[in-house]
Amino acid sequence: MMVFPDDLLYSREHTWARVDGNLVTVGLTDYGQAKLGEILNIDLPEVDTYVEQDEPFGTIESAATVTELISPVSGDVVRVNDDIADDVGIINSDPYDTGWMIVVEMTDASELDNLLDSSEYNDYVLGEEGLD
Amino acid sequence: MDGWRLIPYRKFSAFENMAIDEAIFRGNQLGESPPTLRFYGWDPPAISVGYFQDVEQEVDLEYCRKNRVDIVRRPTGGKAVFHDRELTYSFISREKEGPFTPGVLGTYLVISRCIIKGLSGLGLDAEVAQGGLPEERVPTAHCFSFPSRYEILIAGKKVCGSAQTRASGTFLQHGSLLLDFDAAKALRAIRDRDGRVTEDTLRKAVTYLGAYLREGRTDPAHLSGMLKAGFEDVLRVEFVEGRLTPEEEALKDKLLTGKYVNGQWNREGRIPEKDLIA
Repeated sequence: MMVFPDDLLYSREHTWARVDGNLVTVGLTDYGQAKLGEILNIDLPEVDTYVEQDEPFGTIESAATVTELISPVSGDVVRVNDDIADDVGIINSDPYDTGWMIVVEMTDASELDNLLDSSEYNDYVLGEEGLD
Repeated sequence: MDGWRLIPYRKFSAFENMAIDEAIFRGNQLGESPPTLRFYGWDPPAISVGYFQDVEQEVDLEYCRKNRVDIVRRPTGGKAVFHDRELTYSFISREKEGPFTPGVLGTYLVISRCIIKGLSGLGLDAEVAQGGLPEERVPTAHCFSFPSRYEILIAGKKVCGSAQTRASGTFLQHGSLLLDFDAAKALRAIRDRDGRVTEDTLRKAVTYLGAYLREGRTDPAHLSGMLKAGFEDVLRVEFVEGRLTPEEEALKDKLLTGKYVNGQWNREGRIPEKDLIA
């Protein structure tokens, strides 16, 4: 059973956004991690890197597959979860908590309107799986 | 962008091979390149390392220099591969094209079935590795030393290793189907830091088509025709022979000079996009 918490927003590229004022914590959704399978490596940006909505902010490897991580918002990266580089498995086991990836200082709050709430994201995932 | 394209077998340098695959991959993301099956070889022989691998740790650079073996970093994941006597395929498509499903492992399974179907036309009884070791527990840098899930086995031994990259709803999967295998050479060129892989363990884990087929039947042109038939049968599509478009050729040239012959990419990887194909 996939879990999509109600207090988060979601991108169509399977990243989640936890909004706290203009700070947005970003990670991979439960569906996103399941789709990739067992995660083996991750490459995240450094603090102060500017990331853009719908553009890659990092890469991740699972099952000999490299996949781009797509940012749900634009802004400067102000924190990076360095702990996950040492234990990438937490992205699979705890995607919404200790598996967070970066915190972005959002530059345009109106971009949040492009994201989905948990119910909309659930429907989107069902559509992607051909179950709608 | 109509139909499914086949780009027939030809040998290129390691750098050109990766630039061509990535140009098609990017073109498909933009909706400009059709789903494509390509067959190729490597001239000169080369080692490719996975996107995340540390080339200095995994490859004997001195051996490669002395023996004129090129070294290239792939855009895909996985481990190091010595490309010499093999038939390499690449397959680029939208994630949801034809029978493909969104997940990574589902793509491997469908393509493995295509290749197995093609090999059955040669009388070979290949199978999909169901268990396999999770990649991080594979105790070596050698791609062929252990089968991963959904890779292809003959008589329980790995004969084809594959890797993927995904972006913007498109995937690129490429893989090596061994025609011959020199365990001593592979072990010499690709380091085994833990000393757990020996020539004997590699020989027990790896097989190659030359062990089962008469020499003429391992000719890459003949073999790629059989594999194409396997893809057509499983995917229920027809491939039409074609070549790179002018746009793909131009992008390939930019990727070749800006990325794949670039020492920084091959040594370290992860060059900012704007610097790669500016």
